[in-house]
Amino acid sequence: MKPVLYINPVDGEASGLFNLDCARHLDRISPYHIDSLNLAIYKAILIPAHTDQRALVKAAVQLNAYLNQGGLLVFNGHVAYPFLDELKPFIPVPKTSLDYLMVERVTPHPIFEGVELQDMSFRRGVSGFYGRGHNPPPAGAVVLHQLSGTQAPIDWLYQRPSGGTILMHSGNSMWMHFSDKTSAARITPQLFHWIETYSGAPK
Amino acid sequence: MKPIVAVDGGTYFHRKTLYEAPYAEFFDDIIYAHDLAQADLTNVGCLFVTSRQSGELMANAKDKIARYLAQGGFVVAMGETEYAKWLPNIDWHPTEVNFWWWLDKDADSGLVVNNEQHTLFNYLSLADATWHQHGYFNPPNGAESLISIKSKGSVLYEDRVSTPGRIIVTTLDPCYHHGSYFMPSTTKFLAGFLPWLRAELSQQGN
Repeated sequence: MKPVLYINPVDGEASGLFNLDCARHLDRISPYHIDSLNLAIYKAILIPAHTDQRALVKAAVQLNAYLNQGGLLVFNGHVAYPFLDELKPFIPVPKTSLDYLMVERVTPHPIFEGVELQDMSFRRGVSGFYGRGHNPPPAGAVVLHQLSGTQAPIDWLYQRPSGGTILMHSGNSMWMHFSDKTSAARITPQLFHWIETYSGAPK
Repeated sequence: MKPIVAVDGGTYFHRKTLYEAPYAEFFDDIIYAHDLAQADLTNVGCLFVTSRQSGELMANAKDKIARYLAQGGFVVAMGETEYAKWLPNIDWHPTEVNFWWWLDKDADSGLVVNNEQHTLFNYLSLADATWHQHGYFNPPNGAESLISIKSKGSVLYEDRVSTPGRIIVTTLDPCYHHGSYFMPSTTKFLAGFLPWLRAELSQQGN
């Protein structure tokens, strides 16, 4: 199988992730050295929420070319520097109250199979971990989850007409739940399994 | 007043904290972390290193920052900036983060103020500095802890002994949480800390 690339924002961050069976073969690189790689060899590129997006702007031509040849980009976090044409800046919820923070399923997807919405909306009774706003999707994106109140599309999947797929999660990194004692722990292995079976979307 | 210059790590939370209201006005200039090693710090009043920086980039700027401190510079290092890679005499002990300590019956953060007379506490309260903890420091001899965790070590200290300059180091990471629209205490911390910092620089003519 082709390797998966993880953009490593800070040393030591998410170290527990790399001990998981499903994530042990990740190639890791600092966002400042993306230009040293041949991205075409990667099955997917994972961008954690804490990544330097100004570095992604510098690597935009390469990332765009990677997608054009059928790549899969998994973006986590709030878009602050739209480094691809499909990305627009993050819009926070109008108020961080329960009215606006409940996760609602719009389109079922294998990554979230068996994951209870309650376990995404709350961690130990506290809401807001999963997301507090959204990165606006382009027309034609498939919305997977939205937040209550404003129907903010927090998770979406977009097959670009020019090639490649963007999986968007407008919150902290999707794999943050890997050690939760709830159904939310299913997200990480199911994400990696889905990446493994992803067949590409060349133009 | 010499300028407060912030270090921008290029993340979404740095952008929100440094470039948007209400805190953008507290920063006279901003240096992208990637450019810090080449920056001119000669006339900087305070180098404010925002939470969660790449240790790789901060390590690249270590000599530059050492020269700045040797000339009497003032550095504030917020939480999770891989301090030991770029600051002197750092004895840092990371601990497991308990995001839910406040849900416990009789919850106690364990935090205490060590010197209530310090001018910082005219601007912020212990409650404004209270959220989860990432670890603690053993400050160098002669440095002053301002906030510590009982029976562990410091979470915010001031070091005027390791260099001819002034260093404030904290484990607290308010820029990250404020910039993530999460945890109101972190926003209150900045609402007190940043005006205090400007007042310090104004009064001392730094």
